[in-house]
Amino acid sequence: MIAGIAALLLAVSVPGPIRNSLPGTQARSFEQISRAAQQARDENRDEDAIRLFRQGLKLKSDWEEGLWYLGTMLYEKERFDEARDLFRRFVGQNPKFGPGWALLGMSEFQTREYARSLEHLRRGMTLGVGDRKHLADSVFYHTALLLARFEQYHDSLELLWQMRGAGQAESLLEEPAGIAALGYALLPGEIPDSRREMFRLAGAGTFALLDQRREDAEKLFDKMVRQFPQEPGVHYQYGSLLLNNRPEDGVKELQKELEVSPSHIPSRLRLAEYYLAQSDSEMARPFLDEVVRLEPKNASAHMFLGELLAAKGDNSGAIRELELAREQAPTRTKIRWDLLRAYQAAGRREDASREKMEIEKLTAQQSGKP
Amino acid sequence: MILALSSLLFFLQAGLPKASPPPAVFEQLARQAEKARTSDRLADAIRLYREGLKLRPSWSQGWWWLGSACYDQDRFPEALEAFKRFIAISKTDVAPAYAFLGLCEYETRDYKQASEHFRIWVRKGLPGNAQLIDVASFHWALLLTREGNFVQALFLLEEKAKKYGPSSLLAEAMGLASLRMKNVPEDYPPKRREMVWLAGQASVYGSLHDFDRAHEFASRLIAHYGTQPNVHYLQGTIYSFEKKSVEAAEEFRQELRVSPDNAQAMIQLAFIALEDARLEDAMPMAKQAAALEPKDALAHYALGRVLMAAEDFRQSAGELELAKELAPASAKVRYQLARVYRRLGRKEDAERESAVFETLKDKVEVLAAPEEKPTGTPEQKGKTK
Repeated sequence: MIAGIAALLLAVSVPGPIRNSLPGTQARSFEQISRAAQQARDENRDEDAIRLFRQGLKLKSDWEEGLWYLGTMLYEKERFDEARDLFRRFVGQNPKFGPGWALLGMSEFQTREYARSLEHLRRGMTLGVGDRKHLADSVFYHTALLLARFEQYHDSLELLWQMRGAGQAESLLEEPAGIAALGYALLPGEIPDSRREMFRLAGAGTFALLDQRREDAEKLFDKMVRQFPQEPGVHYQYGSLLLNNRPEDGVKELQKELEVSPSHIPSRLRLAEYYLAQSDSEMARPFLDEVVRLEPKNASAHMFLGELLAAKGDNSGAIRELELAREQAPTRTKIRWDLLRAYQAAGRREDASREKMEIEKLTAQQSGKP
Repeated sequence: MILALSSLLFFLQAGLPKASPPPAVFEQLARQAEKARTSDRLADAIRLYREGLKLRPSWSQGWWWLGSACYDQDRFPEALEAFKRFIAISKTDVAPAYAFLGLCEYETRDYKQASEHFRIWVRKGLPGNAQLIDVASFHWALLLTREGNFVQALFLLEEKAKKYGPSSLLAEAMGLASLRMKNVPEDYPPKRREMVWLAGQASVYGSLHDFDRAHEFASRLIAHYGTQPNVHYLQGTIYSFEKKSVEAAEEFRQELRVSPDNAQAMIQLAFIALEDARLEDAMPMAKQAAALEPKDALAHYALGRVLMAAEDFRQSAGELELAKELAPASAKVRYQLARVYRRLGRKEDAERESAVFETLKDKVEVLAAPEEKPTGTPEQKGKTK
């Protein structure tokens, strides 16, 4: 991946306004140096260029073109700590320039400053990197890896699905998807060799499921469960799939997951969701209570509890739970819809209409997303 | 966490020394710099502070704000230089700047200097607001781990777990300390990541007394890394938290099968045996631990306790005195010393130790040298107040 990024950096140029911002009244020596540095760069005399850019930056420490090109050259040469320091100075001067944040984040990824890297890659994503597809792919990829390492598995998977949908090679994404699907806070390079196949199977199965290739997904998950029956996460993956077609087998698999990893929250939520869909609130309730005990701020658990209580006619209880869910996940429209209905049932018209407005706003925002 | 520090810098402004009356051009620059800083144009602020400091190098506020603006932009080498200049020319209120020096040096991977500056900061009573204390003490804990002061590091990190709950960064830090790996999160082998992560989760949940989850992660850890040093020790420690001494002893014994020289496991086994009045088991464990770790206060404390139980008061006093030398602010060491002096008929010594014990007994305890104690010595605490 590093080698791949190196090539693309040559194509990333300093934005026009920055390039043009170099004043024409610079001291002659600086002008000469900057021209010589550019020439050395154009002629692929990298070491000369690096030396000259450094000289120029000594004379003019805020020379943006110098910071950028020296940073990218050092990144290409895998001198990531030096590149990082230059990009930090560069983004300080150009906080709205997405590619700067992107390259800073990727440098920090290489120096293993993962928390900063994630923050800066996200900033790069938010600001955008223009039409530089390779750079965008790298930013998405590294962000997805880091989200999993910081235990934000759902967000990581969503990003990987987007990348897969945008035509990224599945082979590159399989392991990261497996890591996120199984819930391990690892980078692909941190996977123990003895279980690499488990992550690959989980990732391939997840993508098969995404492509509606259920038979393939089932085969892959079945193989994973047979090969790694004692590993946390595998029975959950398989059980979640089976729950749709063979619910009894699905429930068994999810129960097995809870034997392997007793605090597994997604299994409990999946089981509760399943029982709620069967209108079996007696079966659903204990799973939800357990989730709330393990993770008091789990939005899904409060949402399902709200739905359960609403179905039983306990409107005030439902509203209480749904408001808790909304507090934790204010952008989840399903929670808002549940609340809207609960408010209506309770005759709270103003609250209901406020929820309706919020839903419309959220829907508009979400449909505006790329 | 680091970016959030910007606000604390404002908090610290009030006590800064005033610069002498400047010429008009300097005043204008200082005003512009402040305006740029307060309107979050930090790159401009840095440039303006630099210009102002060229005109007036003795402008201590300028160095402070230059340092803080560079720090906020993650420009640590420059922040470091600015804070050094600030300390060099400021007469008062420099103490929090030592924490910033430590933080900048941590980021530039000058760990030795970072440790030294954090130690100065700790000796000065951990000045600064809550955010600075949180960030700096977290990094201080990382460095304590790197230096092999695992117990002290865990003590600091457990406090954070109790305050903030589980987090990925905390788990990684606690994992390294629990496994007694002399590393910082940025430099340990990637293939050990899963082991560190699982150990960290077990430690975080253990410190939160969520023992079911702690054991769940510890079991996963043992399943894959049970032959690695300190893995069974960690599981034993969780059982100890639960007061399950039989299970804990089994894990400590298992640890000794994996790593026969693990003095910490021996110390814990000695305490468990002492609790059960099995002096014949406790004595060899405590003796071996003290021999293996002659600089470990806990090892001498354990041996002192066992010797006292065996009524060898003279030798017990010697071991407890060694423990006191290594951890002078430990209340429990003073308490046991007072007891053993009484048994030896050394009344004055006993009274002196009892008096010290009275001053220490309500303090948070970790057996550590005073400068490594997160809460400082009682004397230092007094000064801070």
